[in-house]
Amino acid sequence: MRIGIVCPYAFDVPGGVQFHVRDLAEHFLAEGHDVAVLAPQEDDEVELPSWFTSCGRPVAVPYNGSVARVAFGPITSARVTRWIDEGGFDVLHIHEPMVPSASVLSLWAADTVPIVATFHTSTVRSRALHVANPMLRPSLEKIRARIAVSDEARRTVRRHLRADSYVIPNGVDVEHFRQARPDARFTGTPGHPTVAFLGRIDEPRKGLDLALSALPGLRARHPGVRLLVAGPGERDISVPGVEVLGLVSDTDKAALLSSVDAYLAPHTGGESFGIVLVEAMAGGAPVVCSDLNAFVDVLGEPPAGVTFASGDADALVEALADVLDDADTRSLLRGRGRARAEAFDWGVVAEKIMAVYDTVIESAELAPDEQAGRVRDRLRRIRSGRRDRRKDSDE
Amino acid sequence: MSDSALDLGTVVFLVVGVIVLAAWYLSYSASRLDRLHAKVEGAMSALDAQLVRRAEASLELAASGALDPATSLVLADAASAAVDRHTEHPLREDPLDGQNFAGREPVESDLTRALEAALPPETCDLLRATDEDGELDDAAAILARVEGAALRVQLARQFHNDAVAEVRRVRAKTVVRLFRLAGHAALPKVVHFDDDLPPGLRS
Repeated sequence: MRIGIVCPYAFDVPGGVQFHVRDLAEHFLAEGHDVAVLAPQEDDEVELPSWFTSCGRPVAVPYNGSVARVAFGPITSARVTRWIDEGGFDVLHIHEPMVPSASVLSLWAADTVPIVATFHTSTVRSRALHVANPMLRPSLEKIRARIAVSDEARRTVRRHLRADSYVIPNGVDVEHFRQARPDARFTGTPGHPTVAFLGRIDEPRKGLDLALSALPGLRARHPGVRLLVAGPGERDISVPGVEVLGLVSDTDKAALLSSVDAYLAPHTGGESFGIVLVEAMAGGAPVVCSDLNAFVDVLGEPPAGVTFASGDADALVEALADVLDDADTRSLLRGRGRARAEAFDWGVVAEKIMAVYDTVIESAELAPDEQAGRVRDRLRRIRSGRRDRRKDSDE
Repeated sequence: MSDSALDLGTVVFLVVGVIVLAAWYLSYSASRLDRLHAKVEGAMSALDAQLVRRAEASLELAASGALDPATSLVLADAASAAVDRHTEHPLREDPLDGQNFAGREPVESDLTRALEAALPPETCDLLRATDEDGELDDAAAILARVEGAALRVQLARQFHNDAVAEVRRVRAKTVVRLFRLAGHAALPKVVHFDDDLPPGLRS
């Protein structure tokens, strides 16, 4: 199968959507499919895989409450159109079709190829959508299958587009985390349990501040607790009980998760998908997290983790200290977490996405008049318009 | 005089302009609706094709001897009912019938429930396990086919219903109703039946 995938954000810059697209492309390539990816590229010097095509350099614009680095304009638009025309794709998979970048442009340019769209974000401003709706609506109607990466993302799609979507979660390389073995550096000892925090340390929504403010309360119940903070970012933290590891390698991250007595996710918002929660579960870390909708969805039923009221330091202390107190709870959570993580394995996820491709390709083949050329199509439209008006005057 | 002539010219120009714009808008709306109807028809045909595949794979599983005779009988009964209903109502020859799904919902829900009953997690594990020693290779392959078809039925129904919602939203517009832009096309309906995956297949 020849698959075209469009990503709205610069492919040489780290990000959730980019990683998702990269992993998906690599998975289908390994299965023997023909995959091409189109996205902006920040730095021309960076060596990217042969299946990647740049649609131009992104520019920073304020969008959706933050600064987005996206590519648009006539040159980008021409490149997007050419890529689609020359691609000869069986299916076109557009990520974040509402982001004003390669995504919106490809949706607009695509003509006959069946389109699948994946919605990742849970934060869309409705006013901009309301204004742009008449322009975007006809393009959005080209989409044959909408995928949302979480129930939270699905709710957003329903709220803003008044349309439903099928939930297929983000994929995680579960095997990588499952194979990890505990590392003495990160393993707790009696009286000195270890707790992991992952994520940018200077990004408020990741909730490190909440974790730090809860630390005194936690130390009151577990005086020897070690909070291991792994993640990039500029920030000076010198608090007793906190060890800053900085940016860790993938191997160390997996080892960390398989070693600690608890993984703490104190996020205060802005998460549409808790991929880091899945990694923690696959690695075997008992999960203690805030009760964001996206997190609750990932934990499943019965929950493979303990939640506390988002933003509430006292609730955090209580939930985390209880888990650290009780070895039985930890082993129960470990077991549930490992089982739950399987649902997010790339093998499972990619198979579902392939099933979506099959369905839309078949439905495009079976739809009437899909093969009509552009000119014929236009003529038909004019004729049918006349017919309708004539009918109207007859009545 | 020249003032009124100018006014007349302007008025004619404006009237013609409005008529042209209105004509364009009507033609545009009609073709948009046409495309949406085509999408629904394609989605319905795809759902039909997936349902047939699911029923056939289920029949194959029932006939494979991998399940006990009682389970096989239950599954075969539901699956053959679904196949029969499909042959009675060839959707492609009767698109309107297709859009109303010809009352096939209960039959398909029955097949879903039969699959649920026939394939508890233990049975699925057993069918897959026999794959290891290479003896009942076929059973695992048929199970995979049932699994794939059941998932695709779920997807196809969802995408069909999404397309129906789009058509209905456009057809509810005043302009579309007033000028009867939908012509004689029947109003498509969403299809509701139980399409849950058997618990053992849920991943």
